[in-house]
Amino acid sequence: MVFNLVKKNQIQDTESRSIGSELIIPIIGFFFTIYYFYTIIDAPWTAQVAAFIVGALLIMFIIIFIIRSVKSINMGHGSLNFENLIKPKALVPKRLIILGITIAFIFIVPHLGFTITTFLFLAIAMMVLNNFQNKRFIIFLSATLSLGGYLLFIVAFDTRFPAGPFEIFMKGFF
Amino acid sequence: MEMEYDFAFFGEMFFRTFSLWWVILPAIFLGLVVGAIPGFSAANTIIILLPMTLAMDPEIGLTFMVALYASSRMGAGIPAILVNIPGTAGAAATPLDGYPMTKNGRGQQALAMSFTASIAGGLLTTVIALFSLPWLSQIAYYLHSVEMIVIMFFGISLIATIAAKDTLKGLIAGFFGLMIGFIGTDVVYETPRGTFGFLELYDKVPLIPALVGLFAVSEAFAIIENRSIVSENGLSTMKKSSWAKTFEGVRIAGTKWWHIIWNSLIGLIIGVVPGAGAAIASFVAYQQSKTFSKTPELYGTGHVEGLIAPESANNGVTSGTLVPLLVIGIPGGATAAIMLVVLQFHGVTVGPDLFMTSPELAFGPFMAMAVTYALMIIMVLPLARYMSNITVVSTVYMAPIIIAFTLVGSFVPRAYLFDMNLALIFGVIGYVARKTGYHVAAILIGVILGPLMETYFLRALRMSEGDIMVIFSSSIGNTLWVFLIISMALPYIIEKRRNKDVTIVTND
Repeated sequence: MVFNLVKKNQIQDTESRSIGSELIIPIIGFFFTIYYFYTIIDAPWTAQVAAFIVGALLIMFIIIFIIRSVKSINMGHGSLNFENLIKPKALVPKRLIILGITIAFIFIVPHLGFTITTFLFLAIAMMVLNNFQNKRFIIFLSATLSLGGYLLFIVAFDTRFPAGPFEIFMKGFF
Repeated sequence: MEMEYDFAFFGEMFFRTFSLWWVILPAIFLGLVVGAIPGFSAANTIIILLPMTLAMDPEIGLTFMVALYASSRMGAGIPAILVNIPGTAGAAATPLDGYPMTKNGRGQQALAMSFTASIAGGLLTTVIALFSLPWLSQIAYYLHSVEMIVIMFFGISLIATIAAKDTLKGLIAGFFGLMIGFIGTDVVYETPRGTFGFLELYDKVPLIPALVGLFAVSEAFAIIENRSIVSENGLSTMKKSSWAKTFEGVRIAGTKWWHIIWNSLIGLIIGVVPGAGAAIASFVAYQQSKTFSKTPELYGTGHVEGLIAPESANNGVTSGTLVPLLVIGIPGGATAAIMLVVLQFHGVTVGPDLFMTSPELAFGPFMAMAVTYALMIIMVLPLARYMSNITVVSTVYMAPIIIAFTLVGSFVPRAYLFDMNLALIFGVIGYVARKTGYHVAAILIGVILGPLMETYFLRALRMSEGDIMVIFSSSIGNTLWVFLIISMALPYIIEKRRNKDVTIVTND
């Protein structure tokens, strides 16, 4: 048991941390808190107090974390890089393409509707991830899923999914 | 108004819930499937199916979610036993003795034992929780605004200290979530705060896009790193499973009935604490089972008790996590948090009043859980053999499906395009959080508790005419503050003592 703890400590010491990426959430939290404080400067005291208490504690935790991170860097236990955020590096292009397709999906879905946009998104994303192999199967699967989703969510449960040409056309049948 | 809760009331509730078998059976099936997928969970599935559950009547939607939640807990044990890959963190202690059984050619028996322990443990703790709820709900009447503020801090701190490996990161994630939860106009003066000028945020941060982004979208971007969820070794192991000796496994588990009762009660108690959860409970159960065992040396080699302890404990947690949600309105875990979102969407206010105003909703989840476990007895054994095959579905197909269906799901409640963008932003935050060791559940619980905490702060301050010291004015509250400080300090003290021991041994 004790031997395991020593071993665990040794492993932790030898592993180099990507402190740059670990600082992203605290930095976002810090700037958001400052911005939040700015928006409540003129608000009544009772509307400020919860945010001031929680925000002050958050800033305190962030400062402690930054001090700890600087100490880790100085002791050689970590470096100011973003390694664990982007690894494996070979997947970065695919991940960025999927992110781009997702953004496009969000902007297109109000115009083309759920069924067509979902079909396009699934087909393109699956093809990108599958290196453009099994195209027929992917198209079949995407069509089945988008039509299945249409039947389940829009026809069966009457859910407020974005409507486009397909949904408007099919309204005459259902 | 005083309401009578007797056997007739519970009997009527049971049959009322049993009439929803048509919702429970597909939920059990789905729960077993998703529970078996590592990295996937009941919470994620419920998020994917949010458009459906939001469209349902709240009682039916809640029954569906509870059944899925309970069965997914059992499903998580399948790949843990067969391929040494826990479906969820709650099943992380299961392979310690379950996988050696499979390696010894007892995989089928191990599955049967796991199912027996899960069903018996889950059913028992559900019944206990159900009958003790009226008394537990009375506790909530002693909790006013001041006490609730401390409880909110307690919940977020516990999640930070238990759920995250690094307490400081857990606290940063939780408090960051609270700050996000403060976005919007304040309850009294309607002053917009932290909205970045977006009108869509005036009515607070909508919870469904936050859920979708933090859990589902970030998960989808993370899983594409691997071609398949299961490793090559795991795939070859899965092909060897068979159905022999199932009933022998049930019989062996039955002889360990006292072990099942004891460990499921440990699960129930740990589950009631907000933020604790199945992972902690299963390891605590495993550890104490080994400590008090007459044959501790057999643990880790395929010992029956080593498999039964974590499985009965993590199913005990399932009913335990619903207790704080229904009694004091604080979700005990991610799935309970989603249930809270769905109830809020339907305009249902969770808390002690729910037991008076809508007893079918207050007791319903426990009844649904009892019926689910009862139905699983006849359903799960013949089905489970084939369930683990889902783990071989390629992430090439899995990730885009998750992204497309969950993003559209975030659009449904308010029909704002803005909410899909918000889900994507939360997805990016969630992805960064996952990759850098911040717990997304801590951020989410912060987002949920933020508006509640602010409301209690405002009420307390208005009653005390702006005196901030009101938060230390109640004896129950002050006791809770002391517990909060102890719970925060204890892990550091234990860690320091451990390090001290390590140093002494190293020097020797």
